[in-house]
Amino acid sequence: MNFWFAVFRQAGRNLRQTWPSQCMTLLTVSLSVLIFAFFFLVYTNMLGVGDKLGDDLRLIVYLEEEPGPELQEQLRRKILAFDEVEDIRFISRLQAYERFAAQLGDDSDVLADMPQDFLPASIEVVPLKNLRSLTQLKLFSEYLAKLPGTLKVQYGQDWIERFYYFIRLLSIVVFLSGGLLILTSVFMVSYTIRLTILARQAELELLKLVGATNNYIKTPFLMEGFLQGVLGSTLGLAALYVLFQWIRSNFSGPGFLAMFEFTFFKPPFLIAIIAISILLCTIGSYTSMQKFLRT
Amino acid sequence: MVEMIKVSKIYPPQVRALVDVSLTINNGEMFFLTGASGAGKTTLLKLLCNMEVPTNGLVEVAGKDIQKLRGRALAKMRQKIGVAYQDFKLLLDRTAAENIAISMEVSYKKSAYIKKRVKNLLERLSLADKHDAITGELSRGEQQRVALARAVANSPPLILVDEPTGNLDAVTTEGVMTLLNACKNSGATVVIATHDESIFRDTTHRVMELRSGRLHLVREGAAL
Repeated sequence: MNFWFAVFRQAGRNLRQTWPSQCMTLLTVSLSVLIFAFFFLVYTNMLGVGDKLGDDLRLIVYLEEEPGPELQEQLRRKILAFDEVEDIRFISRLQAYERFAAQLGDDSDVLADMPQDFLPASIEVVPLKNLRSLTQLKLFSEYLAKLPGTLKVQYGQDWIERFYYFIRLLSIVVFLSGGLLILTSVFMVSYTIRLTILARQAELELLKLVGATNNYIKTPFLMEGFLQGVLGSTLGLAALYVLFQWIRSNFSGPGFLAMFEFTFFKPPFLIAIIAISILLCTIGSYTSMQKFLRT
Repeated sequence: MVEMIKVSKIYPPQVRALVDVSLTINNGEMFFLTGASGAGKTTLLKLLCNMEVPTNGLVEVAGKDIQKLRGRALAKMRQKIGVAYQDFKLLLDRTAAENIAISMEVSYKKSAYIKKRVKNLLERLSLADKHDAITGELSRGEQQRVALARAVANSPPLILVDEPTGNLDAVTTEGVMTLLNACKNSGATVVIATHDESIFRDTTHRVMELRSGRLHLVREGAAL
């Protein structure tokens, strides 16, 4: 008989003897992982959506009148004086009219009676990626609004603000559910192991008296914690995957959600979640064992 | 060799279980410790296997101060000391065979060896038919023999036995003593705490008596 054989047999006995509480712990760990992973998945996908929207982000500065080449150069210099930008494009009244007509497509005949210069001239400013925090955008927009000859600056501020607040709220929820995962994994596993220890106290005391080493006593319990971590996180992630597929198949029709491509976690990320769960559960188990072995 | 030098054990508040006990037990010796109930026999045995800590004095087993051993070293030492406790300390929901095997499992003996050894011990203690019996369902006498079998199963060099014949009839007592003698003959040091005079009356082994926590020589043993 070797060490690992003895350890596996002992772990098997523990699981058989305390299976109801083991199942409850497994369920709790699975649920915690599911809750955390669900919010984290939404969060990462929302960040992806934010990135995608950010690629199309531009500030449109409406001007009182069409700038001549000299004024264009002056405005360009003023804009660059705030910060580097990716691109600055001047749109004349005529270009604005043509774009609008193109957007209307078959309905462009509604413009037939309109003069071709009824839309204002504008500047399209595409900010650099690093300038896309909400505060920076606001500052930039305020700066542009103060440029001489500016009517109005638009960048979908209401929508962007809401999106940023949503992302911030989501990050708080992810943080809280992460805390929940840590607490449940460590404490639930710790208490389950403590119950197992209490249920088998006589045997553990006897093992000490007949010369079992601390590793011989401790390892089966650590293995229980390890198993709780592996099974709990795998079940939680599997449930999330099923939920993800269900949402995708039921909400993939035309609509808001269809605008974005939602993705599941990449394999390295799944492995990281499982590894962290294993670590937390094993820590829970270890702390209980240490308490017992110290007494 | 077992040595106790000026060992005292006082339980709170002021119960003096052992007072200045000095004792040397040689390797391969069978030693009887007698005395009335409450005289301190069990305390002395517990001190030898580090289940209790002395209030004063030194306890050495195989040249090592047993109180100073910790962790792995203590575990290894305990594997070399077989103890049959007065309260048996059996796992009542396990079979007799499983209880006996436990002391061999912790020292990673091979499964085949464990099975053979368990069977052999059960036969020698007239428990062959109790191999798969749940220990909690056995009689006190049977449980006592299972505890004894577990103590000797790992062939430890030091065997401590507390009241081994308390619940046994004459025939079974003889079987138990035959087993303990066999252990002694194979080189083990055997310490038996008992108030049953019949098991040492006709022997040539050293006998000492505990009275009010102090040790008194009753009979010198024959030279080893």
